[in-house]
Amino acid sequence: MTTSLLPRRSARVRTKRVSSREGFRVNWWLTTLMLVASLTVLLPLYFTVAMALKTPDQIGTGTGLAWPNPLNWENFAAAYVATNFPRAFLSTAFVTVFSVLGSLACSSLVAYAIARNWNHRFFRGSFVYLLSAMFIPFPVIILPLIKQTALLGLDNPAGVVFLHVLGGISFNALLYIAFVRSIPVELEESARIDGATTWQVFRKIIFPLLAPMNATVGIFAFLGSWNDFLLPQMMIADPALQTLPVVQMLFQGEFNTNYSLAFASYLMAMAPTLVVYILAQRWVLSGVMRGAVK
Amino acid sequence: MQRSNSEPHPEALPAFITVLSQPLPYFGSRPVNGVMAAATLPSRRSLFRVAGLAGAAVLIPLSGCAGHAGQQNGVTTLRFMQNKPEVVNYFNQVIKDFEALNPDIRVIQDFNEGNFVPGLVRNDPPDVVTRGFATETAEFVRKGIFADLSGLPVAKTIDPKFQDLISSWGQYKGHETSALPFSIAAAGVIYNRDIFAAHGVAVPTTWDAFIAACETFKAAGITPIYGTFKDAWTLRQGAFDYVTGGMLDVGGFFRDLMARGANIPQSAPESFSNHYRSSLPKILQLASYSQNGAASKNYSDGNAAFGKGQAAMYLQGPWALSQLVQANKDIKLGTFPLPVTNDPDQTKVRVNVDMALSITRNTRKRAAAERFLNYLLEPSVVNTYNEKNAAFSPLMGAPAVSNPHLRGVAAHVAEGRYYQGAGTYFPPSVPMNNYIQSFVFNKNGEQFLTAVDDEWRRVAERTAV
Repeated sequence: MTTSLLPRRSARVRTKRVSSREGFRVNWWLTTLMLVASLTVLLPLYFTVAMALKTPDQIGTGTGLAWPNPLNWENFAAAYVATNFPRAFLSTAFVTVFSVLGSLACSSLVAYAIARNWNHRFFRGSFVYLLSAMFIPFPVIILPLIKQTALLGLDNPAGVVFLHVLGGISFNALLYIAFVRSIPVELEESARIDGATTWQVFRKIIFPLLAPMNATVGIFAFLGSWNDFLLPQMMIADPALQTLPVVQMLFQGEFNTNYSLAFASYLMAMAPTLVVYILAQRWVLSGVMRGAVK
Repeated sequence: MQRSNSEPHPEALPAFITVLSQPLPYFGSRPVNGVMAAATLPSRRSLFRVAGLAGAAVLIPLSGCAGHAGQQNGVTTLRFMQNKPEVVNYFNQVIKDFEALNPDIRVIQDFNEGNFVPGLVRNDPPDVVTRGFATETAEFVRKGIFADLSGLPVAKTIDPKFQDLISSWGQYKGHETSALPFSIAAAGVIYNRDIFAAHGVAVPTTWDAFIAACETFKAAGITPIYGTFKDAWTLRQGAFDYVTGGMLDVGGFFRDLMARGANIPQSAPESFSNHYRSSLPKILQLASYSQNGAASKNYSDGNAAFGKGQAAMYLQGPWALSQLVQANKDIKLGTFPLPVTNDPDQTKVRVNVDMALSITRNTRKRAAAERFLNYLLEPSVVNTYNEKNAAFSPLMGAPAVSNPHLRGVAAHVAEGRYYQGAGTYFPPSVPMNNYIQSFVFNKNGEQFLTAVDDEWRRVAERTAV
């Protein structure tokens, strides 16, 4: 059935496109504008790639726009060794994976509890309490936090994960609560009639229905924890467990910057984000849009 | 049994079931019908499986490296924090040599200086620290963060005039030695030898000769001094520090000023208004010899342009030398101290303690830390470092600098004719760089002096005990 359906459908789409092209007029103003706008992404990316492939001599000459010739691939190897890349990468990946999973699990649970108990004053109050956390700038509380986490033995990547999950709850719960409210209570009631417990209702009905919001929260959590600098820099005591953004400071002295190694290293750190984006592009975009509307 | 009762939502169920079979949260568009779900699910599922495997792969090695620090099998692990990422490789080699001689000590180098204060907060500071020694480090010294090093044998190998640079900032309990200098940087005017030779200009030793040299270059269409005013700190360490240090007694001025505490009216002899007024015209004169558009150039623009020979002089310290050589391998450079008076004997050079070694007071590994510090201050380590990094060794009897770029200031450093930049005395809460920058732009000296006096008083009132 699948095989018979799909080709026919795509054929119809193709004919439609061809016919629309006949009377198609290009909006040159808009196209130009979009081309210029795309340069804001492409140009920095071009510089990053070009810089990563230059020798120090090539960086000093010309306008910087020139494509390096010959290409100097050794920058990547040198940056790999200098940052002890595999180790820093693993540490960053550890922080990121568990921050994302933790954010999804904790924030959705909190949101479900609050949204479905809205008539209780305690839950309404706790919503305001969580929201108010968004008004406290992070740098204000960082030193007490460091002291506290050190006492609890959390001055390591696990502590960074913990704080990422905790710090994300207020904003993520805000997103989730709005979404949970739009899910009809009748769905849950029917599950209750079938004998489902609260946990089962959440795990089997609500959480799957939260999928679009999970995508949004997951993306925020991923980008936030992968690129985070301040928290790991201050929190992780053992330099061997430090994350990539902090380790990459190596290329930036007070008075000199090793541009070619820095950009090679930035590209390597960026790679997972790019790969995930290319693989999950479709879901990312649809997830972001759904999140935006709700 | 109860599941069979859930038939009331016949269309909703298949979607749920496919969702429930996911090992991880399933994000993306909800399938519109069974066909689409069947077509897209396997790829998603495999993606999640990959993600799950990656997560597991991350966990296993990390759990192995948890209990690294501390003492294991009689080996003491030291943490050595240094704040110059560009010399990480040099210290890695030093550490390797040290560990070969001292198998019972392991040293971890940490260049993440942002972790120093957190380390103090969690009472787990690095054991050995090197920092540039100025206001901020002096603040730590006043609070007794660092241990007394006066009893160490290496403390007696340090040239007392360089140790004075550190003790001039104040000593804990009035007598302790909280830091030993490791590297002294001497900053003057970097000049392009070829341009000087082509125009028959000799290195000036008086202010008048310096101005005459600037006029010669200007007449020949060459920028006399490359200005990088966009980076305000370059104005502070260049024009401001050089002129004030060259004509005033900066160290004495700040000693008197701090002795007065918060009670400094603008008319007091110790005020900036009184003391610094005479230096301001010369700062503006220096700035006026910069190229057009200096306000939009930053430090790295300046390095690239000066490296390409676009100006005759550059008011930068030795840290810029490697960048200039990187921009142009064949450039011939020299350094001379800026003569601010017409008496060549009065000419002084700006120095700063670029690196000073300390041991934190709270370390539990004091003995091992002292052994490491002793090793760092062995002539072979400290002299080699300074030779390689265009700096001066603080040891007594250190060999003369062979770096041709530094020969012009070597005599001044050796004879102790130097000062620490006035700009380095200001706490970070006084935005001195910005005040100097706006003074150079709007040339309002009165406003500048009043603002600095007010700021100093405010900070002094706030920090007074």
